Amino acid sequence: MSELRYREAVRAAMVEEMERDERVFLVGEEVGHYQGAYKVSEGMLERFGPKRVLDAPITESGFTGISIGAAMVGLRPIVEYMTWNFSAVAFDQILNNAAKVRQMSGGQLKVPIVLRAPNASARQVGSQHSHAMEHFYAHIPGLKVIAPSTPADAKGLLKTAIRDDDPVLFMESETLYNIKGEVPDSTEHLVPFGKAQVVREGRDVTIISYSRMVHVSLDAANQLAKEGIECEVIDLRSLRPLDEATMVQSVTKTHRAVVAHEGWPYGGVGAEVADRLQRLAFDELDAPVLRATQLDFPMPYNAKLEQYVIPQASRIIEKIREVLYQA
Amino acid sequence: MPDQDRDSGERRARPAARQSGAPEARDADAKPSTGPGSPGGAPGAPSPGPRSPGEAAESGAGGSAAGSGGGDPSRSVETHLTFYRQMLQIRRFEEEAARAYAQGKIGGFLHLYIGQEPIAVAANAVLRPDDYAIETYRDHGLALARGMSARAAMAELFGKVTGCSKGLGGSMHFFDVEHGMLGGYGIVGGHIPVAAGTAFASKYRGDGRVTMVFFGEGAVSIGDFHEGMSLAALWKLPIVFVCENNEYSMGTPLSRTMSVEDVSMKALGYGMARDRFFVEDVFQVRDHLAEAVERARTLSEPTLVEIRTYRFRGHSMSDPGKYRTPAELEERKKKDVLLRSRSDIAAAGFEKQLEAIEAEIEAEITDAIRFADESPEPGPELLEQTTYAGPFAR
Amino acid sequence: MAKVLEMPKLSPTMEEGQISAWHKKEGDAVAVDDLLAEVETDKATMEFRSFDKGTLLKILAPAGSVVKLGEPVAVVGNAGEDVSSFGGGGGDKPKAKSAKGDAKAPEKGETDKGTTPKADKTAKKAEAPAAEGAEDTGDAEGEAEAEAQADEAEAQADEAEAQADEAEAQADEAEAQADEPPASGTAKKTRPPARQGAARPRAAKADADHDDDDDEAAGAEPAEAEGPSSTAGSTGRVKASPYVRKLAREQDLDLRGVRGTGPNGRIVARDLSAPPAAGPKAATSARAPSAALAEPEKRPLSMMRKAIARRLTESKQTVPHFYLTIDIDADPLHALREQINADLAGATGDEAVKVSFNDLLIKAVAIALTRVPECNAQFTPEAILVHTRVDISVAVAVPDGLLTPVLRDADHKSVLEISSEVRDLATRAKGKKLKPEEMLNGTFSISNLGMFGIDEFSAVINPPEGAILAVGQLRREPVVRGDAVVPGRRLAMTLSCDHRVVDGAVGATFLKALRQLLEHPSQILLL
Repeated sequence: MSELRYREAVRAAMVEEMERDERVFLVGEEVGHYQGAYKVSEGMLERFGPKRVLDAPITESGFTGISIGAAMVGLRPIVEYMTWNFSAVAFDQILNNAAKVRQMSGGQLKVPIVLRAPNASARQVGSQHSHAMEHFYAHIPGLKVIAPSTPADAKGLLKTAIRDDDPVLFMESETLYNIKGEVPDSTEHLVPFGKAQVVREGRDVTIISYSRMVHVSLDAANQLAKEGIECEVIDLRSLRPLDEATMVQSVTKTHRAVVAHEGWPYGGVGAEVADRLQRLAFDELDAPVLRATQLDFPMPYNAKLEQYVIPQASRIIEKIREVLYQA
Repeated sequence: MPDQDRDSGERRARPAARQSGAPEARDADAKPSTGPGSPGGAPGAPSPGPRSPGEAAESGAGGSAAGSGGGDPSRSVETHLTFYRQMLQIRRFEEEAARAYAQGKIGGFLHLYIGQEPIAVAANAVLRPDDYAIETYRDHGLALARGMSARAAMAELFGKVTGCSKGLGGSMHFFDVEHGMLGGYGIVGGHIPVAAGTAFASKYRGDGRVTMVFFGEGAVSIGDFHEGMSLAALWKLPIVFVCENNEYSMGTPLSRTMSVEDVSMKALGYGMARDRFFVEDVFQVRDHLAEAVERARTLSEPTLVEIRTYRFRGHSMSDPGKYRTPAELEERKKKDVLLRSRSDIAAAGFEKQLEAIEAEIEAEITDAIRFADESPEPGPELLEQTTYAGPFAR
Repeated sequence: MAKVLEMPKLSPTMEEGQISAWHKKEGDAVAVDDLLAEVETDKATMEFRSFDKGTLLKILAPAGSVVKLGEPVAVVGNAGEDVSSFGGGGGDKPKAKSAKGDAKAPEKGETDKGTTPKADKTAKKAEAPAAEGAEDTGDAEGEAEAEAQADEAEAQADEAEAQADEAEAQADEAEAQADEPPASGTAKKTRPPARQGAARPRAAKADADHDDDDDEAAGAEPAEAEGPSSTAGSTGRVKASPYVRKLAREQDLDLRGVRGTGPNGRIVARDLSAPPAAGPKAATSARAPSAALAEPEKRPLSMMRKAIARRLTESKQTVPHFYLTIDIDADPLHALREQINADLAGATGDEAVKVSFNDLLIKAVAIALTRVPECNAQFTPEAILVHTRVDISVAVAVPDGLLTPVLRDADHKSVLEISSEVRDLATRAKGKKLKPEEMLNGTFSISNLGMFGIDEFSAVINPPEGAILAVGQLRREPVVRGDAVVPGRRLAMTLSCDHRVVDGAVGATFLKALRQLLEHPSQILLL
């Protein structure tokens, strides 16, 4: 075990996998000479050289397409977007090529590619740089969407992603890059997809979350614990595939659930979780499944308004009180 | 992989030898008669005439190409018969596909390659079997030229499990990895970066393969074309960009989609080699493309080749075709390369061989239709397997 | 060898095409890819080119024909080949459906007599009302109209049949006969024709609407129709969370004694644990029997109910409805009505003679329809029929359903004439005394639920009409006049339009005309 920051854990996963597999390379804006916009790829150009750590011009669609093509014929690219916001200009490549080539080819081709970047809100970066893109991508069959909340999971899940034969979209968080945590040193530390983790046990209500919001959810749980309300907190880690069993098991115990995530409420991951729970645990629910999300507005710049729009512990607590009929 | 010398000022346009559309763009770097492109009797054999005003088209392939070869072994009648066979196969396949579409046996969109056959056939002739070819949705011709069976192609149109993509792809998504056909793609220009990616992989691995990517002039205005071109030039990828300029972006003529008439000029901005010509015959197309492939294979450098061609049918089966006059269409049909090949070969005294080929193709296409008709449809169990390589993620 | 050319698929969504022009004549030589004809598809006019080489021997679908995909349109082959086996040679109609009206049913009835009893019956019954209908309208509407009438007549036939059966007190058999063609055919023959006259006509109509004005019902009465029974479902149902229900099942709890503390009285888990109010044990024995779900009461479908179900389902599923609502100032209309009724009382000395809001409204609608005739129209696949008469169907609730008697030539009648005629129609509707033809061939419908206290609603179009006006109640509410808020009256109306006939702007124009008339209602009396 070593104590690593989240960004170091991401880097460790890439470095280990590139050492292991010659076919793996990293491409993105500023990943090489600049050492990464968020210093995630620091030192990798020196280590692997310009053939395997490629600085791309600002051509998200271009280098995403190139990586898809390279993956189709046997390479295993890692694409870094400066942030997930910019993947929007590569959306066609992701939607129409990465996700569909396999079916269009009748199964002749696969696209083992990892697309990774920080996701969702940062600090006052305004409406165009604060998107939670996982909701868009989790909608698409053919893609896998992963969102780790801890350094250990960041490493273990990214290694799994790089070894996976399907397109994996890996959601990091700018505001998590600096957090520290114990990370297994093993080069075979692989965290499987589709397995959520109960990060706090409780009997009264289940909070289902992922990525940065896991930490906010734990904060909310700790505040409520002072009143004797015990929240169970689930870190989904993997959004597609989604771990139904862990959610259902928890709700069978608590009979109430609140989903907490960044991004807008309409049709997002929280809506999906709510659907699964009402279908799979209908008879266990003592209250409707509620969601604590970003408010339904583009992200404002103003610091106070931004904090108002972003889901906070207080919003999660409010929803918990509702499902406990304390409102 | 990004070349360290990219700031060295060495990157200059290197237009190909035969730059019929824009003579002023010629460059001393051009290597007029290297590679397989060297025509047999080019000088002094004027092309049938300029295709558009102001273009004193110099055609490398020259006039009466086809057949006796004038001593050039690469233009032998045997080769010509092979090309004729492939072109005819595509033509007859497409005609019967149109009929089957009208009978309701084929659904969705159907974009026919009729009129453009020499391009796919010539391209295949200069590619190695393990090279990569990637197409737009007008992809039947290239797939057949690459070696896909008419059965697999027709069955795909019929949505049958015996189709090249198991009936899941349809007309626009012909894939045959075994034959180096990496697919037909439905989003205009979206496949161009993907093609740059397969070329990237070849360079990364040093496997010596070349990628040839095809698109219409309608794709030249979209961002992905430019991003793919830009990165291919920047990273010196072994790829040939083939713009099949059939003059109509669906129903919009060239003059209303581009500020310049010469598509190959788009290469200049990326310091990429370029070529441009009007289709005369299949040998001429082959020789031009051979040069670009050679550049990719030996120098790992991309080329943009603009081939002026014409499609004889609508954009798709639901195209009323009101944007061009019947007179224009009839005029173009007179220059049908397939017919020209036939008359040249016949004139060389090979009528019997032609008839034998024609009978074979009829039988092959009839068989393909029957095969497609009789084949079973894909079942829902295929859907999960073909969505993810691993277990289905839901 | 001659082969049949079929209507080709010329667009991904095409289901039929109309041959707009032939470019080859019979006897012309045809080469592959030659232009044969132009075909109008759902998308565009497309070229129909030949896949074959030969001679165009016969055109089976002349220009103007509408032909389904895959149906024959022509024969090609070698010159001189015999084509008599194709398309029945000697002047037979092509198999292709003609663009004109489809007179199939009557023809079929004639030729197939005895082999398909149902068709026979239908056709025969269709004949009489259709003919009458034609007289009514002076056959100006042509074949399409006749077809529509035939449809309606069929519905009537069904109903008449059911009535006859009822009369014979063979209620159970009635269903079987309605469903099984041979049985009903036989039964029908035994029935004297007179029955048809006596038969209650089919229920043509819309949702549970009704005609009439505000609370002072004049003319048609709400009837005993159970209309909006507000209390029915809400009482007696226990609201509990799914988890509580599961606990109740498992522990045999009777939730009816439990007080719910959740939203709207929902019983949530804590209500079971905190006060073990309805203790499991105690309650158990008492409510065991009631645990089973009570059986619903089964009410057999009457013919009218079946016709309503069929016609309105068809309307709502096949007619693209959209809705336009206006809310008008009804003070002038109210004042006018008070004035008229006061004057009438004074003049006749008879308190009973009154005009209703509905009477005024019908007249206003009739005038508005003459001003915007596009709303007085119906869709047929071949053409839009813009009516030159204003025949307004008035929805009347009757026991077990509703009927839509038609007020003919409403634009030519005075308000008083309308008032008495509507009253007569409504009375006879409730007494089942209407003649079938009194419910046919309306051009526009009005449905009024004001007497039920409905503020506004949307009605289902009564096919083949192109629109229906749904009228709410006269509302007393504060309105702004000048700078003051004063008591006023408002009236909301929603026009349901068949978008195939009536576009948004047209519907809006009609409503604008109607508003203008109702807010300046003296015109209603003048025109």
